[in-house]
Amino acid sequence: MSTNVTIHHGEEINNSTGVSHKKLLMWTFLGSDVMFFGTFIATFMAYRNKSLNGPYPEDTLNIPITSVSTFVLLMSSLGIVLALHYLKEAKMGLAKFWLLLVIIMGIIFIGFQIYEFSHFAHMGMTPQVNLFGSTFFTLTSLHGAHVSLGILWLIFLLINEHRGNLNSGNAIDLEIAGLYWHFVDIVWIVIFALLYLITANDGVPPGSIPWIGGH
Amino acid sequence: MSLLKDLFFYQGNKWWKIPETTELSKNPKNEHPFGGFMEKSKNILLILSSGKGHAGPIYYWIIAAILGIITMIEVWWFGIKELRYMLVPAMLIFSILKFALVVAFFMHLRFDHKMFSTIFITCMVVGILFFSVFLLLSAFHGLGT
Repeated sequence: MSTNVTIHHGEEINNSTGVSHKKLLMWTFLGSDVMFFGTFIATFMAYRNKSLNGPYPEDTLNIPITSVSTFVLLMSSLGIVLALHYLKEAKMGLAKFWLLLVIIMGIIFIGFQIYEFSHFAHMGMTPQVNLFGSTFFTLTSLHGAHVSLGILWLIFLLINEHRGNLNSGNAIDLEIAGLYWHFVDIVWIVIFALLYLITANDGVPPGSIPWIGGH
Repeated sequence: MSLLKDLFFYQGNKWWKIPETTELSKNPKNEHPFGGFMEKSKNILLILSSGKGHAGPIYYWIIAAILGIITMIEVWWFGIKELRYMLVPAMLIFSILKFALVVAFFMHLRFDHKMFSTIFITCMVVGILFFSVFLLLSAFHGLGT
Protein backbone atom coordinates (compact mmCIF):
# COMPACT_ATOMS: atom_id res chain seq x y z
CA MET A 1 0.00 0.00 0.00
CA SER A 2 1.41 3.37 -0.96
CA THR A 3 2.05 6.14 1.52
CA ASN A 4 0.79 9.65 0.94
CA VAL A 5 2.11 12.85 2.43
CA THR A 6 -0.61 15.45 2.61
CA ILE A 7 -1.12 18.72 4.39
CA HIS A 8 -4.53 19.09 5.95
CA HIS A 9 -5.47 22.04 8.17
CA GLY A 10 -1.77 22.76 8.67
CA GLU A 11 -1.08 19.24 9.86
CA GLU A 12 1.22 16.95 7.92
CA ILE A 13 -0.37 13.57 7.36
CA ASN A 14 1.99 10.83 6.32
CA ASN A 15 0.07 7.61 5.93
CA SER A 16 -1.94 5.47 3.54
CA THR A 17 -5.38 6.80 4.41
CA GLY A 18 -4.75 10.52 4.08
CA VAL A 19 -6.37 11.29 7.42
CA SER A 20 -4.87 11.67 10.87
CA HIS A 21 -4.79 8.26 12.47
CA LYS A 22 -4.92 9.79 15.94
CA LYS A 23 -8.18 11.45 15.01
CA LEU A 24 -9.44 8.31 13.32
CA LEU A 25 -8.72 6.33 16.47
CA MET A 26 -10.52 8.88 18.64
CA TRP A 27 -13.61 8.94 16.40
CA THR A 28 -13.70 5.13 16.41
CA PHE A 29 -13.43 5.14 20.20
CA LEU A 30 -16.19 7.75 20.47
CA GLY A 31 -18.35 5.62 18.18
CA SER A 32 -17.91 2.66 20.52
CA ASP A 33 -18.58 4.90 23.54
CA VAL A 34 -21.86 6.03 21.95
CA MET A 35 -23.02 2.41 21.98
CA PHE A 36 -21.65 1.94 25.50
CA PHE A 37 -23.64 4.86 26.89
CA GLY A 38 -26.59 3.91 24.68
CA THR A 39 -26.95 0.60 26.53
CA PHE A 40 -26.92 2.27 29.95
CA ILE A 41 -29.39 4.96 28.90
CA ALA A 42 -31.64 2.29 27.37
CA THR A 43 -31.46 0.31 30.62
CA PHE A 44 -32.41 3.39 32.63
CA MET A 45 -35.39 4.09 30.38
CA ALA A 46 -36.49 0.44 30.38
CA TYR A 47 -36.53 0.39 34.19
CA ARG A 48 -38.16 3.81 34.44
CA ASN A 49 -41.18 3.82 36.76
CA LYS A 50 -40.55 0.22 37.84
CA SER A 51 -39.11 0.75 41.32
CA LEU A 52 -41.08 -1.11 43.95
CA ASN A 53 -40.10 1.24 46.74
CA GLY A 54 -38.83 4.81 47.14
CA PRO A 55 -37.24 7.21 46.90
CA TYR A 56 -38.62 8.11 43.49
CA PRO A 57 -37.37 10.74 41.03
CA GLU A 58 -39.84 13.43 42.22
CA ASP A 59 -38.53 12.98 45.77
CA THR A 60 -34.88 13.39 44.88
CA LEU A 61 -33.96 15.17 41.64
CA ASN A 62 -33.11 18.86 41.92
CA ILE A 63 -33.46 20.45 38.48
CA PRO A 64 -32.19 23.99 39.31
CA ILE A 65 -28.86 22.68 40.64
CA THR A 66 -28.38 20.26 37.74
CA SER A 67 -29.25 23.02 35.27
CA VAL A 68 -26.35 25.10 36.59
CA SER A 69 -23.89 22.21 36.31
CA THR A 70 -25.21 21.46 32.80
CA PHE A 71 -24.62 25.07 31.79
CA VAL A 72 -21.08 24.92 33.20
CA LEU A 73 -20.29 21.78 31.19
CA LEU A 74 -21.77 23.30 28.01
CA MET A 75 -19.61 26.39 28.41
CA SER A 76 -16.54 24.24 28.98
CA SER A 77 -17.09 22.95 25.44
CA LEU A 78 -16.81 26.53 24.22
CA GLY A 79 -13.64 26.90 26.27
CA ILE A 80 -11.90 23.91 24.76
CA VAL A 81 -12.74 24.88 21.19
CA LEU A 82 -11.36 28.39 21.85
CA ALA A 83 -8.23 26.94 23.48
CA LEU A 84 -7.65 24.85 20.36
CA HIS A 85 -8.30 27.81 18.06
CA TYR A 86 -5.76 29.99 19.87
CA LEU A 87 -3.22 27.17 20.09
CA LYS A 88 -3.40 26.71 16.30
CA GLU A 89 -2.81 30.44 15.92
CA ALA A 90 0.16 30.21 18.33
CA LYS A 91 -1.50 32.59 20.81
CA MET A 92 -0.17 30.62 23.75
CA GLY A 93 -1.39 32.92 26.53
CA LEU A 94 -5.00 32.74 25.41
CA ALA A 95 -4.73 29.01 24.73
CA LYS A 96 -3.46 28.39 28.29
CA PHE A 97 -6.13 30.67 29.77
CA TRP A 98 -9.01 28.83 28.09
CA LEU A 99 -7.53 25.41 28.80
CA LEU A 100 -7.21 26.31 32.48
CA LEU A 101 -10.79 27.61 32.48
CA VAL A 102 -12.03 24.33 30.98
CA ILE A 103 -10.25 22.37 33.72
CA ILE A 104 -11.81 24.60 36.38
CA MET A 105 -15.27 24.19 34.84
CA GLY A 106 -14.78 20.41 34.70
CA ILE A 107 -13.85 20.39 38.39
CA ILE A 108 -16.91 22.54 39.19
CA PHE A 109 -19.11 20.03 37.34
CA ILE A 110 -17.62 17.13 39.32
CA GLY A 111 -18.10 19.18 42.49
CA PHE A 112 -21.80 19.53 41.69
CA GLN A 113 -22.01 15.79 41.09
CA ILE A 114 -20.31 14.97 44.40
CA TYR A 115 -22.70 17.35 46.19
CA GLU A 116 -25.69 15.76 44.44
CA PHE A 117 -24.58 12.21 45.23
CA SER A 118 -23.92 12.97 48.89
CA HIS A 119 -27.29 14.77 49.13
CA PHE A 120 -29.03 11.73 47.64
CA ALA A 121 -27.20 9.38 50.00
CA HIS A 122 -28.24 11.59 52.92
CA MET A 123 -31.87 11.29 51.75
CA GLY A 124 -31.59 7.51 51.62
CA MET A 125 -31.16 7.09 47.89
CA THR A 126 -28.25 4.77 47.18
CA PRO A 127 -27.43 2.45 44.25
CA GLN A 128 -28.82 -0.59 46.09
CA VAL A 129 -32.09 0.91 47.35
CA ASN A 130 -34.18 0.46 44.17
CA LEU A 131 -34.09 0.22 40.36
CA PHE A 132 -34.10 3.99 39.95
CA GLY A 133 -31.09 4.34 42.26
CA SER A 134 -29.16 1.51 40.58
CA THR A 135 -29.66 2.74 37.03
CA PHE A 136 -29.28 6.41 37.91
CA PHE A 137 -26.02 6.03 39.84
CA THR A 138 -24.53 3.61 37.30
CA LEU A 139 -25.08 5.98 34.40
CA THR A 140 -24.19 9.27 36.07
CA SER A 141 -21.13 7.76 37.80
CA LEU A 142 -19.84 6.41 34.50
CA HIS A 143 -20.27 9.84 32.98
CA GLY A 144 -18.54 11.40 35.99
CA ALA A 145 -15.65 8.97 35.54
CA HIS A 146 -15.35 10.09 31.91
CA VAL A 147 -15.30 13.75 32.97
CA SER A 148 -12.67 13.04 35.64
CA LEU A 149 -10.47 11.26 33.12
CA GLY A 150 -10.90 14.22 30.77
CA ILE A 151 -9.83 16.65 33.51
CA LEU A 152 -6.65 14.62 34.16
CA TRP A 153 -5.93 14.55 30.42
CA LEU A 154 -6.38 18.32 30.11
CA ILE A 155 -4.16 18.98 33.16
CA PHE A 156 -1.48 16.85 31.51
CA LEU A 157 -1.84 18.89 28.31
CA LEU A 158 -1.74 22.19 30.21
CA ILE A 159 1.52 21.16 31.89
CA ASN A 160 2.93 20.20 28.49
CA GLU A 161 1.79 23.50 27.04
CA HIS A 162 3.40 25.37 29.92
CA ARG A 163 6.67 23.52 29.30
CA GLY A 164 6.52 24.35 25.61
CA ASN A 165 5.93 20.78 24.48
CA LEU A 166 2.47 21.55 23.15
CA ASN A 167 2.33 24.19 20.45
CA SER A 168 0.68 24.99 17.13
CA GLY A 169 2.78 22.28 15.47
CA ASN A 170 1.21 19.45 17.46
CA ALA A 171 -2.18 21.03 18.18
CA ILE A 172 -3.70 17.73 17.07
CA ASP A 173 -3.02 16.42 20.61
CA LEU A 174 -5.33 19.06 22.07
CA GLU A 175 -7.83 18.49 19.27
CA ILE A 176 -8.06 14.80 20.19
CA ALA A 177 -8.58 15.65 23.86
CA GLY A 178 -11.13 18.26 22.75
CA LEU A 179 -13.10 15.65 20.81
CA TYR A 180 -13.23 13.52 23.95
CA TRP A 181 -14.33 16.50 26.05
CA HIS A 182 -17.07 17.48 23.62
CA PHE A 183 -18.24 13.89 23.65
CA VAL A 184 -18.73 13.85 27.43
CA ASP A 185 -20.63 17.09 26.94
CA ILE A 186 -23.03 15.63 24.36
CA VAL A 187 -23.58 12.54 26.51
CA TRP A 188 -24.56 14.86 29.36
CA ILE A 189 -26.95 16.73 27.03
CA VAL A 190 -28.81 13.45 26.52
CA ILE A 191 -28.58 12.46 30.21
CA PHE A 192 -29.90 15.85 31.33
CA ALA A 193 -32.91 15.56 29.04
CA LEU A 194 -33.77 11.91 29.72
CA LEU A 195 -32.67 11.31 33.32
CA TYR A 196 -33.52 14.68 34.74
CA LEU A 197 -36.06 16.75 32.80
CA ILE A 198 -38.24 13.91 31.53
CA THR A 199 -37.96 11.74 34.65
CA ALA A 200 -38.05 14.36 37.41
CA ASN A 201 -41.86 14.33 37.71
CA ASP A 202 -42.12 10.54 38.02
CA GLY A 203 -43.88 9.72 41.25
CA VAL A 204 -44.94 6.43 42.83
CA PRO A 205 -45.55 3.76 40.14
CA PRO A 206 -48.85 1.79 40.40
CA GLY A 207 -48.56 -0.96 42.98
CA SER A 208 -45.40 0.43 44.57
CA ILE A 209 -44.91 1.55 48.14
CA PRO A 210 -45.07 5.34 48.69
CA TRP A 211 -41.86 6.76 50.07
CA ILE A 212 -42.07 8.22 53.56
CA GLY A 213 -38.41 9.20 53.85
CA GLY A 214 -37.85 12.84 54.69
CA HIS A 215 -36.51 15.87 52.92
CA MET B 1 -30.08 6.85 0.96
CA SER B 2 -27.04 9.06 0.77
CA LEU B 3 -25.69 7.52 3.97
CA LEU B 4 -26.35 4.03 2.65
CA LYS B 5 -24.53 4.91 -0.55
CA ASP B 6 -21.61 6.27 1.43
CA LEU B 7 -21.48 3.13 3.52
CA PHE B 8 -22.06 0.39 1.02
CA PHE B 9 -21.48 1.50 -2.54
CA TYR B 10 -18.23 1.55 -4.39
CA GLN B 11 -17.46 5.01 -5.73
CA GLY B 12 -13.81 4.87 -6.71
CA ASN B 13 -10.55 4.74 -4.78
CA LYS B 14 -10.82 1.02 -4.11
CA TRP B 15 -13.63 -0.67 -2.25
CA TRP B 16 -13.15 1.08 1.08
CA LYS B 17 -13.65 4.47 -0.60
CA ILE B 18 -10.87 6.24 1.25
CA PRO B 19 -9.57 9.17 -0.77
CA GLU B 20 -5.90 9.03 -1.69
CA THR B 21 -5.37 12.51 -0.32
CA THR B 22 -7.52 14.74 1.79
CA GLU B 23 -7.51 17.31 -0.98
CA LEU B 24 -9.67 14.96 -3.04
CA SER B 25 -12.57 15.43 -0.67
CA LYS B 26 -13.93 18.91 -1.03
CA ASN B 27 -14.69 21.03 1.98
CA PRO B 28 -18.25 22.29 2.33
CA LYS B 29 -18.79 25.52 0.45
CA ASN B 30 -19.57 27.61 3.50
CA GLU B 31 -17.77 26.32 6.51
CA HIS B 32 -19.66 28.02 9.27
CA PRO B 33 -23.13 27.95 10.81
CA PHE B 34 -24.52 30.80 8.75
CA GLY B 35 -22.32 30.30 5.72
CA GLY B 36 -24.71 31.01 2.88
CA PHE B 37 -26.17 34.06 4.59
CA MET B 38 -22.70 35.38 5.36
CA GLU B 39 -21.42 34.86 1.83
CA LYS B 40 -24.27 36.85 0.40
CA SER B 41 -24.65 39.65 2.86
CA LYS B 42 -20.96 40.19 3.71
CA ASN B 43 -22.09 40.57 7.26
CA ILE B 44 -19.81 42.20 9.82
CA LEU B 45 -19.58 38.86 11.63
CA LEU B 46 -17.69 37.48 8.66
CA ILE B 47 -15.05 40.12 9.17
CA LEU B 48 -14.88 39.31 12.86
CA SER B 49 -14.37 35.61 12.16
CA SER B 50 -11.02 34.08 11.35
CA GLY B 51 -11.52 34.84 7.67
CA LYS B 52 -9.73 31.66 6.68
CA GLY B 53 -12.70 29.65 5.50
CA HIS B 54 -13.07 28.03 8.90
CA ALA B 55 -15.17 28.87 11.87
CA GLY B 56 -13.61 31.59 14.01
CA PRO B 57 -14.14 32.46 17.68
CA ILE B 58 -17.24 34.54 16.95
CA TYR B 59 -19.02 31.46 15.60
CA TYR B 60 -18.07 29.42 18.63
CA TRP B 61 -19.56 32.13 20.85
CA ILE B 62 -22.72 32.16 18.74
CA ILE B 63 -23.06 28.37 18.99
CA ALA B 64 -22.43 28.53 22.76
CA ALA B 65 -25.10 31.23 23.10
CA ILE B 66 -27.58 29.10 21.15
CA LEU B 67 -26.77 26.11 23.37
CA GLY B 68 -27.26 28.21 26.50
CA ILE B 69 -30.59 29.59 25.23
CA ILE B 70 -31.86 26.10 24.35
CA THR B 71 -30.92 24.88 27.85
CA MET B 72 -32.81 27.81 29.40
CA ILE B 73 -35.87 27.01 27.25
CA GLU B 74 -35.65 23.36 28.37
CA VAL B 75 -35.64 24.31 32.04
CA TRP B 76 -38.41 26.89 31.50
CA TRP B 77 -40.51 24.29 29.65
CA PHE B 78 -39.99 21.82 32.49
CA GLY B 79 -41.35 24.37 34.97
CA ILE B 80 -44.61 25.08 33.10
CA LYS B 81 -47.29 22.61 34.17
CA GLU B 82 -49.51 23.40 31.16
CA LEU B 83 -46.74 22.23 28.81
CA ARG B 84 -46.02 18.94 30.62
CA TYR B 85 -48.01 16.90 28.08
CA MET B 86 -45.47 17.94 25.43
CA LEU B 87 -42.44 17.51 27.69
CA VAL B 88 -41.03 14.28 26.24
CA PRO B 89 -41.07 15.23 22.52
CA ALA B 90 -39.89 18.76 23.31
CA MET B 91 -36.94 17.57 25.40
CA LEU B 92 -35.99 15.01 22.76
CA ILE B 93 -36.04 17.66 20.02
CA PHE B 94 -34.04 20.14 22.12
CA SER B 95 -31.42 17.57 23.08
CA ILE B 96 -31.06 16.36 19.47
CA LEU B 97 -30.60 19.99 18.41
CA LYS B 98 -27.92 20.61 21.05
CA PHE B 99 -26.25 17.31 20.26
CA ALA B 100 -26.10 18.17 16.54
CA LEU B 101 -24.74 21.68 17.19
CA VAL B 102 -21.90 20.42 19.37
CA VAL B 103 -20.99 17.55 17.05
CA ALA B 104 -21.17 19.58 13.84
CA PHE B 105 -19.49 22.79 14.94
CA PHE B 106 -17.53 22.25 18.17
CA MET B 107 -16.29 18.82 17.12
CA HIS B 108 -15.79 20.08 13.56
CA LEU B 109 -17.50 17.06 12.08
CA ARG B 110 -19.13 19.28 9.46
CA PHE B 111 -15.72 20.57 8.38
CA ASP B 112 -13.75 17.37 8.71
CA HIS B 113 -13.16 14.30 6.60
CA LYS B 114 -16.26 12.32 5.61
CA MET B 115 -14.77 9.14 7.02
CA PHE B 116 -15.16 10.45 10.59
CA SER B 117 -18.80 11.31 9.97
CA THR B 118 -19.40 7.86 8.52
CA ILE B 119 -17.84 6.10 11.52
CA PHE B 120 -19.69 8.19 14.09
CA ILE B 121 -23.06 8.12 12.33
CA THR B 122 -22.84 4.36 11.81
CA CYS B 123 -22.22 3.85 15.52
CA MET B 124 -25.06 6.25 16.33
CA VAL B 125 -27.44 4.28 14.11
CA VAL B 126 -26.40 0.99 15.75
CA GLY B 127 -26.73 2.56 19.21
CA ILE B 128 -30.19 4.02 18.49
CA LEU B 129 -31.28 0.72 16.94
CA PHE B 130 -30.20 -1.16 20.06
CA PHE B 131 -31.88 1.46 22.24
CA SER B 132 -35.16 1.14 20.35
CA VAL B 133 -35.16 -2.68 20.23
CA PHE B 134 -34.33 -2.89 23.93
CA LEU B 135 -37.13 -0.49 24.87
CA LEU B 136 -39.61 -2.32 22.63
CA LEU B 137 -38.64 -5.67 24.14
CA SER B 138 -38.97 -4.31 27.65
CA ALA B 139 -42.35 -2.77 26.82
CA PHE B 140 -43.82 -5.96 25.37
CA HIS B 141 -42.07 -8.66 27.39
CA GLY B 142 -40.95 -6.91 30.56
CA LEU B 143 -37.53 -7.24 32.12
CA GLY B 144 -38.28 -9.49 35.02
CA THR B 145 -39.33 -6.77 37.44
